[in-house]
Amino acid sequence: MNANVYVKMHNISKTFGLVKANDSVNFEVNKGEIHALLGENGAGKSTLMNMLSGIYKPDSGSIFIRGKETIFHSPKESINMGIGMIHQHVKLVDVQTATENIIMGMKGGFFVNSKSISGKINKVSEQFGLLVDPNKKVYDMSIGEKQAVEILKVLYKGADILIMDEPTAVLTPQETKKLFETMRKMANEGCAIIIITHKLNEVMEISDRVTVLRKGKTIGTLITRETSPKEMTDMMVGETTNLSIHRAEVLRGNKVLEVDHIYAKNKQGVDVLKDISFNLYEGEVVGVAGVTGSGQKELCETISGLYPTESGRILFKEENLIGLTPKDIIKRGISMSFIPEDRLGMGLVASMDMVDNFLLKVHHEQKGALVKRKPVAKQCERIIKKLNISTPGINHPIKQLSGGNIQKVLIGREIDTNPHVLITAYAVRGLDVGASHTIYDLINEQKRKGVGILFIGEDLDVLLGLCDRIIVMCEGLITGNVITTEVTKDEIGLMMAGGKMAGIKKEEVLHAND
Amino acid sequence: MKKLLSLLLVLGMVISLAACGQEATETAETAETTETTETTAEDMVVGFIFVGPVGDGGWTFAHNEGRLALEKELGVKTLYKESVPEEQVVESEMRNMIDQGATAIFATSFGYMSFVENMSNEFPEVAFFHCSGYTQTDNMANYFGRMYEARYLTGIAAGLKTESNKIGYVAAFPIPEVIRGINAFTLGAKSVNPDVEVEVVWTSTWYDPAKEKEAAITLLDGGVDIIAQHQDTAGPQQAAEERGAFSIGYNTNMYDMAPKSHLTAATWDWSGYYIEQVKAVMDGDFASHAYWGGMNDGIVTIAPLSEHVAEGTKEAIDKAKEAIMDGSLVVFGGEILDQNDEVKVAKGESLDDGSMLGMDWFVKGVVGSINQ
Amino acid sequence: MRMIKRTDMTPSKAILIRTIAISLSILIASLFIVIMGHNPLSVFVSMIVGAFGTAYRIQDTLTIAIPLVVTSIGIMIAFKMKFWNIGAEGQILMGAFMASYVALNYGDLPKIVLLPLMFIAGFVGGGFWALIPAVLKVQFGTNETIITLMLNYIAINWITYLQYGPWKDPGSMGFPRIAEFSDNALLPKLFGVHVGWIIAIIIVIIISFILAKTKNGYKLSVVGESVDTARYAGMNVKRIIITSIVVSGGICGLVGMMEVSGVNRTLTAGVSAGYGYTAIITTWLSGLKATVIIPVSILFAGMIKGGSFIQTAFQIPQSAADLLQALILFFVIGSEFFIQYRLVKSEKKEVA
Repeated sequence: MNANVYVKMHNISKTFGLVKANDSVNFEVNKGEIHALLGENGAGKSTLMNMLSGIYKPDSGSIFIRGKETIFHSPKESINMGIGMIHQHVKLVDVQTATENIIMGMKGGFFVNSKSISGKINKVSEQFGLLVDPNKKVYDMSIGEKQAVEILKVLYKGADILIMDEPTAVLTPQETKKLFETMRKMANEGCAIIIITHKLNEVMEISDRVTVLRKGKTIGTLITRETSPKEMTDMMVGETTNLSIHRAEVLRGNKVLEVDHIYAKNKQGVDVLKDISFNLYEGEVVGVAGVTGSGQKELCETISGLYPTESGRILFKEENLIGLTPKDIIKRGISMSFIPEDRLGMGLVASMDMVDNFLLKVHHEQKGALVKRKPVAKQCERIIKKLNISTPGINHPIKQLSGGNIQKVLIGREIDTNPHVLITAYAVRGLDVGASHTIYDLINEQKRKGVGILFIGEDLDVLLGLCDRIIVMCEGLITGNVITTEVTKDEIGLMMAGGKMAGIKKEEVLHAND
Repeated sequence: MKKLLSLLLVLGMVISLAACGQEATETAETAETTETTETTAEDMVVGFIFVGPVGDGGWTFAHNEGRLALEKELGVKTLYKESVPEEQVVESEMRNMIDQGATAIFATSFGYMSFVENMSNEFPEVAFFHCSGYTQTDNMANYFGRMYEARYLTGIAAGLKTESNKIGYVAAFPIPEVIRGINAFTLGAKSVNPDVEVEVVWTSTWYDPAKEKEAAITLLDGGVDIIAQHQDTAGPQQAAEERGAFSIGYNTNMYDMAPKSHLTAATWDWSGYYIEQVKAVMDGDFASHAYWGGMNDGIVTIAPLSEHVAEGTKEAIDKAKEAIMDGSLVVFGGEILDQNDEVKVAKGESLDDGSMLGMDWFVKGVVGSINQ
Repeated sequence: MRMIKRTDMTPSKAILIRTIAISLSILIASLFIVIMGHNPLSVFVSMIVGAFGTAYRIQDTLTIAIPLVVTSIGIMIAFKMKFWNIGAEGQILMGAFMASYVALNYGDLPKIVLLPLMFIAGFVGGGFWALIPAVLKVQFGTNETIITLMLNYIAINWITYLQYGPWKDPGSMGFPRIAEFSDNALLPKLFGVHVGWIIAIIIVIIISFILAKTKNGYKLSVVGESVDTARYAGMNVKRIIITSIVVSGGICGLVGMMEVSGVNRTLTAGVSAGYGYTAIITTWLSGLKATVIIPVSILFAGMIKGGSFIQTAFQIPQSAADLLQALILFFVIGSEFFIQYRLVKSEKKEVA
């Protein structure tokens, strides 16, 4: 067998309960290659990679590493074979230095010769262009640096087969660019790199080959420069799709929400919102960009009455919301659909069925001590039809639905209350192309109805495509407030990293137009 | 649907239970009427309720010895339950034994008294024997021994041995039985050594080796050089041995548990009473009674003196023992002063059984208070 | 060895694992019984016969099951909120204390007045004892496990103090015991078991109804699943936690009332008899389902009763009987672990 084939997964099948997660999947990665693994949510990408990193065992099929058939009984064995996984969310110890994090969990003597280790780390980081100060504490690092430490950690263990799980999800465009340079260098040094992603532009930019999975099956492996985003999407979704994000053209209405010089501190007393001011109009979608943890979550919670402020006002149609309870704010028609990382943390109760999740919003209005599920059940049936939600039934726990359907349940519930203001955070996180577009359509529909929408997102292409205006946040500050048609992705990237732009001026211009 | 099913299940159980309940009372009634006056050894089942484990080396151990002797002598079947608290559960333990065929039950701790009384009313066909209490019903006898006679003798051994003239006494509860024992012990000690003081510490438990030992250590720290006890374990004995002091045991001969400190012990021998009473039940001759036997019956005695006793102890004890047994010495015979120097028993008089069974005062020479 | 969360558990597999666990426990218990010189088969049969064999035994088993059922319901409410209430024991005692206060001081009141008063007092006592950790938790974020556990000891010592001190019955000739209640303060019996069994069934029905059908029950389950979601839905999370925990403790307090009034006829420090801890196990085994709690508690009571029976029937020492019970429990609870996780040996090839 060709020794250049570092990974060969042959006819791999894996079943969980009744679900065939992988069905005779074939997958091959060569030395020196960057190979993208593409597929919708639930297509079986993670399952496949978990088998490569020894977390699961395949039910059938074989894995060859550098031409040798291998059976992993534990992740450790996979690591020993030179396979390293870099997770989407960094798993580092904050109070330790880069070096300490890198050598943690390594075999060796009780005492650590830090000098020789530092030397070795330096050597590896220079080799791949991973510029990390080995003595810097993790809590002082940017997300990009943290990721570099993760990569170093894997390389230091001697891995030359790297699996990267959606590595760009948390990065600014600039950081992404840097990461891609590193990846290219690693490939040139002879590593085999697998990148799991659903961002097509990234696939086009970085990968040499791409394997598309759909519903647990291999649809095909393509050479990247011989394919197109359109072709890949069609393979992923299984039908022809329209890729571009549509922005509804709506004439903006009255000011519906005015956020006025809001300051807030977290429990540790650190400022999380600093002098936040912006306006939201009827029939407008305002995007909020920024790397994760820049204050987006706190902003949403502040408007919803869940987060205490230090000073400032939030005016909803001239009325100050500060001091009102969340219940009162909901009554005024301010609706939030907040999707945290795990999608089910806030807004939905995973173990409950659709009816009980819809009750969250309406139980306040029901009279008497009892809950009335019948009218809610009807509402659920209607929403299922309207949004084409695929579920075994309204009494099925929602955690068993796919990500896109959960999202539809959440947003469907929010828009069904006919809100004046809709706040959605990470509404398309982890969703595949098809599901994402359904969500965009829903948002546009609300926009046409005259709802003011605050759209917190992470994919700049989406923000630029969908929103009328974008607020950029960095470390609790607004570093930009720009009209999407007048700004480039790179400019937003700079603002996300803290560079102030003359964007605020632009809103003033807009105001002048009112 | 599932919910409904389990609810139905419960209801079903309840109803069947109700039916069973009625059946049970019926069979109990028939059992009563068909009861014969004589029971053979094979059919006879005797229950014993113990407050501690049979291996406590003390109170329960002594009763269990009696039970074993009974089994051997009469060939009857015995049931026993260890470590039964002095709470309502004792009723259900007695019911369990009756359910398993017991027709005579010995409940061997003071705190069981009111529960035994309840049971005796509920099961008139069963003979109940309650140890160390004072209530009696038609089918509930109470039995005990005049342990104070033996206590008096062990007091002599302690009074002769002590050098500090301070003797410690680890005691369970301030009930008449215990108070009587302390008083008799003190009178015995003072009969040979008028300067003796007996310091009392209450533990509020019959059976707790660690707590009993701790109480003894407190006394030893206070300067006593002999430890006596009204407890069910050898904990106080071991404390005395560890501190190089001497000790007086209770319930059984505790020499093996503290060979360096043990002087003697006031001991029980229940076998005679148990055999006699079970025989009476088998023959249909059981009659309720209050039994309070002394050294003459052999139910109480003292353990052989160890090599540690002071010179002349054997002679003094033998003399007193003989006098008690022939009636020339009355333990609670006047003149006896209480802690406040008031005359409780005048010269030439002696306490009757009723006064002894309700004793709630300490004789002069006891250091300690009944009201804790 | 390392453990992996199971993702592929089917109901039939779960039943298989439980069967294996129970068989193993019987096997090892049998070995133990043989070593003690008895016939395992007859011991096991006696255990069942001893628990359910005669009407009296069933009554006795049910008398144990009643406090288990009610306490489990109380604990279940707290556990549904992810409030780890280990303090049922203390709440039972404080409920018993309050009920006893009423019974001892107003013993002359007619039954129809006195018993409901004691019932309310029991609820208040247990509820108050649960209110303390609930308030501490929502206001200061204290760990409720430790606080409730500590409160158990305070409750035990408080009752002991009463028993040896101010409440000691002067008529007990020095023996530390609280006076028996008047007849008016005693729960009547129905079918040979005190009416606590009816109360238990009513409580199960009421609580099931509240949880399934009322707004408060709905709010409770939302808070239990996700505090963030509850806040987001505009619920007053603190108030929901405090009310639910007070109800949880109050129900445990009712157990105290039923035990002093229906079983013990007076207050002692031993009145809770460890039900507060045993019920934690029955609650877990019931999967926090109110209706399942009843059969599980009855089976558990049967095990306690059967264990006690074999002790007298075979003259097995108390400690050995306890050990047998613990052994069975160990395997049953252990099997729940294997249903949730699987162990993988790192070195050898796994037999799939």
